Amino acid sequence: MDNYQASRMREASRGRGLIPPCQVACPLHMEIGEYVDLVAQGKVLEALQVIRDGNPFPSICAYVCTHPCEDACRRSQVDKPIAIRALKRFAVEFGGDRMIQLEAETTQSEKVAVVGSGPAGLACAYYLRKLGYPVTIFEAYSELGGMLRVGIPQYRLPREVVDTEVQRLIHMGVEIKANTRVISLDLLFDMSYKAVFITVGAHQSLRMGIEGEESPGVIDGATFLREVNLGLKPSLGERVAVVGGGNVAMDAARAAVRLGTSKVSILYRRSRAEMPAGPDEIEQALEEGVETMFLVAPTKMKRENGRLSVTCVRMELGEPDAGGRRRPVPIKDSEFNREFDTLITAIGQAPQISEDFRLRLGRGSTIQVDPVTLITNRTGVFAGGDAVTGPATVTQALASGRQAAFRIDDYLRHRYPLADKEAEETLSGELLPETIEMIRKIERLEPPLLSPEARAKEFKSVELIYNWEAAVAEARRCLRCGMGAEILFQDKCATCLTCLRICPYHVPYLDERGTIQIPADQCQACGICVTECPARAIVLRKPYDRRHIDEELEHALKSAAASKSKPLIIGFCCQYGLFGTGALASLWREGKAGIWIVPVLCVANLEEGHVLRAFEMGAEGVFIAGCGEQCSRENTAFWVLQRVERIRRALSQIGLEPERLQTFNLHATEGDTAEALDNFTERIGGLCLASVIRQEVKS
Amino acid sequence: MAEQKPLEEIRRIIAPYERVLLLGCGTCMTVCGAGGEREVSFLNSALRVAQAKSSDGIHSFSEYTVKRQCDFEFLDMLVDKVNEVDAILSLGCGIGVQVVAERFPDMPVLPGVNTSFMGMAKEWGVWDERCAACGDCRLAETAGICPITRCTKGILNGPCAGTKNGKCEANKDMDCAWILIYKRLERLQQLDKMRRYYPPRNFRVIPRPRRIVMKADVEPGEDNG
Amino acid sequence: MANSLFKEKLNSDGFLVTTEIGPPKGADVSEMVHHIDLLKDKVDAINITDHQSSVMRFPSLGGCLLVKERGGEPIIQITCRDRNRLALQADLLLAYSRDIKNVLCLTGDSVDVGDHKEAKPVFDLDSVQLLKMAREMESGKDIGGNELKGAPQFCLGASVHPEADFIEPQLIKFEKKVVAGAQFFQTQGIFDLESLRRFMQYASQFNVKILAGIIVLASARMARYMNDNVPGIIVSQAIIDELAGVEKGKGLQKGIEIAARFIKTIREENLCHGVHIMAVGNEGIVPDILEAAQPVSAHR
Repeated sequence: MDNYQASRMREASRGRGLIPPCQVACPLHMEIGEYVDLVAQGKVLEALQVIRDGNPFPSICAYVCTHPCEDACRRSQVDKPIAIRALKRFAVEFGGDRMIQLEAETTQSEKVAVVGSGPAGLACAYYLRKLGYPVTIFEAYSELGGMLRVGIPQYRLPREVVDTEVQRLIHMGVEIKANTRVISLDLLFDMSYKAVFITVGAHQSLRMGIEGEESPGVIDGATFLREVNLGLKPSLGERVAVVGGGNVAMDAARAAVRLGTSKVSILYRRSRAEMPAGPDEIEQALEEGVETMFLVAPTKMKRENGRLSVTCVRMELGEPDAGGRRRPVPIKDSEFNREFDTLITAIGQAPQISEDFRLRLGRGSTIQVDPVTLITNRTGVFAGGDAVTGPATVTQALASGRQAAFRIDDYLRHRYPLADKEAEETLSGELLPETIEMIRKIERLEPPLLSPEARAKEFKSVELIYNWEAAVAEARRCLRCGMGAEILFQDKCATCLTCLRICPYHVPYLDERGTIQIPADQCQACGICVTECPARAIVLRKPYDRRHIDEELEHALKSAAASKSKPLIIGFCCQYGLFGTGALASLWREGKAGIWIVPVLCVANLEEGHVLRAFEMGAEGVFIAGCGEQCSRENTAFWVLQRVERIRRALSQIGLEPERLQTFNLHATEGDTAEALDNFTERIGGLCLASVIRQEVKS
Repeated sequence: MAEQKPLEEIRRIIAPYERVLLLGCGTCMTVCGAGGEREVSFLNSALRVAQAKSSDGIHSFSEYTVKRQCDFEFLDMLVDKVNEVDAILSLGCGIGVQVVAERFPDMPVLPGVNTSFMGMAKEWGVWDERCAACGDCRLAETAGICPITRCTKGILNGPCAGTKNGKCEANKDMDCAWILIYKRLERLQQLDKMRRYYPPRNFRVIPRPRRIVMKADVEPGEDNG
Repeated sequence: MANSLFKEKLNSDGFLVTTEIGPPKGADVSEMVHHIDLLKDKVDAINITDHQSSVMRFPSLGGCLLVKERGGEPIIQITCRDRNRLALQADLLLAYSRDIKNVLCLTGDSVDVGDHKEAKPVFDLDSVQLLKMAREMESGKDIGGNELKGAPQFCLGASVHPEADFIEPQLIKFEKKVVAGAQFFQTQGIFDLESLRRFMQYASQFNVKILAGIIVLASARMARYMNDNVPGIIVSQAIIDELAGVEKGKGLQKGIEIAARFIKTIREENLCHGVHIMAVGNEGIVPDILEAAQPVSAHR
């Protein structure tokens, strides 16, 4: 097909995406827009592939990531952000992440030691192994995982998940030395390791520094969680207090609930708004019956009569401190006493670095490193994770481990340490009110949760998974930031104003020079202007190398020609709506004889030329199955029908019956789409027969 | 403003030619949706289907769109392509077709659209005639509403007796131009313009085919002045 | 040059009655001649229509020649739809040379409503320009500015639409026509005497004669058809109802009755200077109307 201009368009639309804010916010810079769109299409395996490309341990993140992507999600300017983490969990479970086997070859000779098997250490080992290095992980405890194992309780991250990842690493050839505490880095170098990555985490609980802290019945949160996670059931008595407001405090409180404590109270010296713990955690804790006492801090404790008598003072918020948070100030003469059986401190953790390492330490006892290369003051010694940043999130640790792996590779291969190149253009910006107005408001679908009563009994995972319909519906809410339209060939644009007039979201506008601009941060990527542009000057930016409709069509036509089933019917079906809607889903899976499906990503992108091509190459009938008014973008059905009318006019001028082209609604409320399709097939069969007879009569 | 010719007519026109270049125009014909790249592609597809369905398929089609067809310079890039085809079906306006024909006198150049009028888009997909290129614009007298195009009879001392409900006797969907002119002159408080007598039009402002010359006849010389 | 007979009557104060005859669509003029004979002595002048409603017919000029032959007083209708200024001036010269001096100057119906929809509409001039042109020819020059060998003299008329829904543009045009040279006006069909009265209040300031157009309707259906399809005709609902109220077959009679009623009232109340009876297709009943409208009698 001599269509160099069409292929020019195809070439140009590859690799021109703008980075959306979710991807920028993610510490691992995962291609979130891409995998959310794949889930919307029902392509779970491909979604998982994209996830695995950017994340070494998707199943872990799927449970515990604090989702900075959701906080940056621009959908929140319309209604609520996309439930990205839950969608990732869906992809991980339904995509069979557990089953994926990984292999790695050793192509380098330099051995690398990773000290600490927390998320940073595991990630670093993963990437180094993929680069071909022999890697050994040293872990002081018997179990691997660092905070994943000893810090996060099982109801948030089941132990099997961590086990699976560790097994995968072993299968890749990573050497594990558990129960081995590294006491000297020089020894490691003596053992011929050429580089060392220190990532021992931050497990040392900070002390409150009040009288009575040594009393029996006072435990620090990290130790408490460790014991719980190791399967020990520390006895807590009836009433437990937890001091602190971060995730460790929440975890400790909720673990205490599950251990059967009747009353768990959290004492936090600021108010709820300043709590560092994730809002979901706080919410779920409250549901589980945890009491929260805000603006309260203990001043001294005493053990008497088998109980802890804790003196607390009320606080008020004063001036902001250096970090910007308002400093709590005790209110004079507001002391009161409460009695508890156990008090758990969870006011922060710090790393514990042995002096023998001779590493330069900074604020909060964290290791100081060069931010670009992650090298410490000692040659060949790198550091990352909580040991460098202080307590942070799992995902940040993973990103740190990945960065370390690449920097170690640079070091061992003697590459000049350059700062990372500036990322491609990112997309930011507020949605304009006129655009927001046109976007259909849809409720965010939360993943189902175990009921609070069920939760309190045991350590089973609180969050359940979406079903197919829910996942697809939630994924379709994505605004596709950065995947929108752009005028690629400004010289072809005749400023006919078609795109400006027909955009359902009022995005294109005329600037002061009279040129059409399509602002990338407003475009909803519906594709209508791309197909309607009379000059073919507009393309959709697509960061991934997706097969375009004509390629899919040629593929289908080839298969159809090979199979020779009659009559040949080509169906252009919306991939978003096709999956899981039941109506044509069976069609897709079983491949009815004679009917060949060409999946399109929204029928708004279907051009007249595609349909006519099908007829040209022997299709007796063509149908277009779209989502009608359920399409996640507005007005698409109207434009498809405009094109259908045009094609039908052309067909009748050619001498073909216009009814050979039919449209179906995948979400039809009246009538059964599958039955309508059967009728259509029959009618096409009839038309074929009639034309054959006509031919015979003629001759 | 133009409309693509009906498919049967185009097929008849190109029937004797084997290799046909479908030539689009990237300016006016794109704006009015009759002959831009998209339309060229649609026509190409439709012609191929037609050919596949009938058994006498002798044609092979190629497509190309130039920025404009009405200037020779834009057609220079066709020089090679022209050697590989037997005819050009131009989707340019009447001007374009003729310029292409003049540029390539040995090549049959065929029209693919019916150029109809100069008009405006009332909304997407709806075009109304506004100008007849009469060469004697009198919009100052008629409050910016052209009686030549918008009055079916093109009279200058309107309205005629056929106006009913403000609509034209010939087409009940079209407004009577003279009622529109009356209303707007009234709004501008310039009704005396309608009371004036307008003499018969000069139909030959310049004889046909018309020519406009913008360059002056000058002789740069050695002397001053 | 002598005034035409009709011009003389215009100058007098009598009640004027004119009517019109539609020529045949073909070369057989026998019926037209029959109608001419029937009416020539009963009315002050007879219009011969010119491709009325843009349907191609035997020409008005030819019909007027026949009227002259048979001893009647013709009014030639000239429209601008079909002839450019050369042809119009030539036809005027011919008409004058055959003593057809009464000219009704019209713009003409649009080509789209007739039976030759693909014809080229000429409209080189409009009715106002036509009037002016005829007046200029009287002074011995054509409108190209050239001397004429023998200048014609005309009694010029035009049409006016007192019942138009936007009345002011019609009044503006009426005045332009008066200034351009029209001496008498035959109005479009009158169905509401109040509009006529209002119009006459304005028109009586000008020294022109107004003849109210009377259309004979044969049925409610015909009335509705004319409303929808014939330019310039707006039949009021009251009349349609009146027609609808009679039994089948009596429609025409009712139409005659209504027409006569109008004529009587106009005459008795001196609303305007006369009537122009339009019964195209039914020319035979005009005498009946005149009968029914006694004591109106035509001047002989």
